[in-house]
Amino acid sequence: MRTPDVVLKMEHIVKEFAGVRALDDVTFEARAGEVLALMGENGAGKSTLMKVLGGVWPYPSYRGDIFIRGERRRFHSTREAMDAGIAIIHQELNLLAELTVAENIFLDRQPVTGFGAIDWHRMNDDAADLLGELGISDIKPTDRVKHIAVGKQQMVEIAKALSKHARILILDEPTSALSDKEVAELFRVIRKLRRDGVCMCYISHKMEEISQIADRVAVLRDGRTIGETTAVSDITMDQIIERMIGRELKEMYPHATRQRGERILEIKNLGIDHPSLPGARKVKDVSFSAYRGEILGISGLMGSGRTTLASAIFGAFPQATHGEVLVEGRSINIRSPADAIKHGIALLTEDRKALGLFLGQPITFNTTISSLQTVSSPPLGVIDQSEERALTERYIAQLGVKATGADAIVGTLSGGNQQKVLLARWLNASPKILILDEPTRGIDIGAKVEIHRLLNQLAEQGVAIIMISSELEEVLGMSDRILVMNEGRIVSEFSRANASREAVMESATGARRTEN
Amino acid sequence: MHRNQALIFIRTNATLIALVVLAVLLALIDPTFPTARNLSNVARQVTIVGIIGVGMTMVILIAGIDLSVGSVVGVAAVVVTLLMQYGLAAWFAVPMALAIVGGIIGLWNGFWIAHYRIPPFIITLGMLTIGRGIALSLSGGSSVPVADPSFAALGSAYIPPAPTLALLALAAGIGAFRLIRSFRETGKSNGTALEERVPGIVAATAGLLLAAYVFGTSDGMPVPVAIFVAIAAIAIFVLGHTRFGRRLYALGGNEEAARLSGINVYQTKMIVYVVVSLLSALSGILLASRLNGASPNLGNMFELDAIAAVVIGGTSLSGGSGTIGGTIVGALIIGVLNNGMSLLGVSSFYQLIIKGLIISLAVWFDVLQKKN
Repeated sequence: MRTPDVVLKMEHIVKEFAGVRALDDVTFEARAGEVLALMGENGAGKSTLMKVLGGVWPYPSYRGDIFIRGERRRFHSTREAMDAGIAIIHQELNLLAELTVAENIFLDRQPVTGFGAIDWHRMNDDAADLLGELGISDIKPTDRVKHIAVGKQQMVEIAKALSKHARILILDEPTSALSDKEVAELFRVIRKLRRDGVCMCYISHKMEEISQIADRVAVLRDGRTIGETTAVSDITMDQIIERMIGRELKEMYPHATRQRGERILEIKNLGIDHPSLPGARKVKDVSFSAYRGEILGISGLMGSGRTTLASAIFGAFPQATHGEVLVEGRSINIRSPADAIKHGIALLTEDRKALGLFLGQPITFNTTISSLQTVSSPPLGVIDQSEERALTERYIAQLGVKATGADAIVGTLSGGNQQKVLLARWLNASPKILILDEPTRGIDIGAKVEIHRLLNQLAEQGVAIIMISSELEEVLGMSDRILVMNEGRIVSEFSRANASREAVMESATGARRTEN
Repeated sequence: MHRNQALIFIRTNATLIALVVLAVLLALIDPTFPTARNLSNVARQVTIVGIIGVGMTMVILIAGIDLSVGSVVGVAAVVVTLLMQYGLAAWFAVPMALAIVGGIIGLWNGFWIAHYRIPPFIITLGMLTIGRGIALSLSGGSSVPVADPSFAALGSAYIPPAPTLALLALAAGIGAFRLIRSFRETGKSNGTALEERVPGIVAATAGLLLAAYVFGTSDGMPVPVAIFVAIAAIAIFVLGHTRFGRRLYALGGNEEAARLSGINVYQTKMIVYVVVSLLSALSGILLASRLNGASPNLGNMFELDAIAAVVIGGTSLSGGSGTIGGTIVGALIIGVLNNGMSLLGVSSFYQLIIKGLIISLAVWFDVLQKKN
């Protein structure tokens, strides 16, 4: 590597919200042509730090100094940060779905003709050049963003940043919604930008990615930088995790041996109509069973039909679902999620914000909404609010939810704590069959281990658990049995003993490809 | 820190403070405003929009809207008077009109909205026109007189001062009892509860005392006011303390999440649209009784006053948050404003402008608050 060329330095940054210190004396520097991994649990302050850098929290709402290429800068707006060459690629992409790729890249900075009208021709050409530079050939500048895959949308965001001559690029959990293939493409682009001398801050939870892509690692915990920024080659993954959670990590996937009980759920020839292609099926002829006291993992790539399958069992698409569902040997007709809940089925949805939580409501409300009968009395359904509070407080203690109290608004909690609240909701419904769709996506490692431990406990108590996860390690580590889906079908089944990373991946991709 | 708390207090209780300021100003400018007789009148005028507002709050809570309420007022007024023309007694005509008009129109709106997911704005806009057409065609375009003299009691009679005071005392007693009980239960775990509830407690106490003065020193409490108070009390209880209330907040906060939580979205929407229509029909019947006859144009533009009351009262038009208490304050602001401007002799043209400005200000304030 060349001599380190520090382009970004943040020194003694302190940021408070209503008396709470989100950032407490954070100091780090990043160099041109490097990928600096910024790691930390949710709530550690990574996002806040990046918002300070990006001008979202303007000077003087924070204390401390920001140096760009050695010069002290104080950003009063996002615009000023942008002009200084800083671009943030947010976890939730900021694109306008109805506009084209080129329109998104040049939003509000469109090239114009002599008459002041948009010069479409030049705009599309410029966009094509930018995409070409990134080596992206399979999307056109005139494609509408809503028609391209999430991975490509991210490329559009990066192209947009480059069009603004960004030299410091912040990637906030860029792979959280990407398939493995898309991740590979993203990494290729990141490596190219690194060669071009762009400084990148890479925020992530995923250990394997860090070892693949990052040059150095800085760890944040409780708003502080923990230890020195260290080269990836000089630190082990376990050491990083220990810095992040502040204690030794015994086991990521605590797995107890247990005996599975009787069959509780049987799915026979389940088919689900494709939502947008008439006549086609999104899920085709799926049959499987789930047993008490067993964790059944479902693996597969994004779009393989896992989420659709889970939602259909839960009664989310009654009109589009064909086939038979048996609970405890009896064939049942599930016409709505309410029916499913009555039969003891619960679904923890993948997208906790859009499909799960009521973000403006307190923890109590979110905990009891699916099982109000546990805190109310018939026939008027009057809710006993002190009982509700007591029950919620028990879950807060049991699951280790970090919140100011049972009345805390769920939208103010961190991702891991939100997920725990959602889990509390379904625990309170005392399901016999608990389906979890990506139960630990986007949450910190500490919360992840706690959720895993809880799932093991539930299985030991005789609940049938069906867990969908994109994270191979999680499926392999947690499941007693694994089903793999590909293009709407279950293509293979593995027992815990004979499942391996390679075998599962091979059947998930549907071919004996030896890529990567 | 102290200044901050004062600011937060003002922000969270802005409408209540606005109402008090408005009332005090009017009382200073015009001595007829604070008389018991005038305030009793204001209370009665507020009930019509207030009753519709209770239903409208529920609709807006589930991120819906009902533009047909004004037309339902007209149809219900015409139908109840016509039923009496056909020889039905008032005591029978009233529930019949409620069920026929409120029930059918509510089911119609609810069916299209819940079953076919047609935007409520459109389907109730259609019903606004249909309803007015029905009222005009049923009545032949002219007013229908009241045939049964006992019908007038509904809108014009009073509960005499003595029983009124007894009722108010009972309400105060129940309120105090519930308050003490709730503090016994939550007092330990939640220290801020008292502070947060002080404005509500003060407002309720002041309201009860004012009601005692207004209704105790004049002819008593008008029957429509009593009906409104009863409906509002039931609605406050239902929204805050029952499973059905929870379903409304859930549905308005995130409809898809509500469905996936096991809430019967279809049924909930149906109930809400039927309830708002029933309450609007009740308003129409009270109005016909008070006016001793029904004009087919009765209730014209009431939807705007009802929505304004809800919005001024702090209920979010995007659903999921709001209270009946806020709507009552909103309705009172509109009522006091109307009354005050009439007393001061402000031309009705200017009254419209001022009302519109106040609604815009309320929404602006709501947006500002969300930003913070």
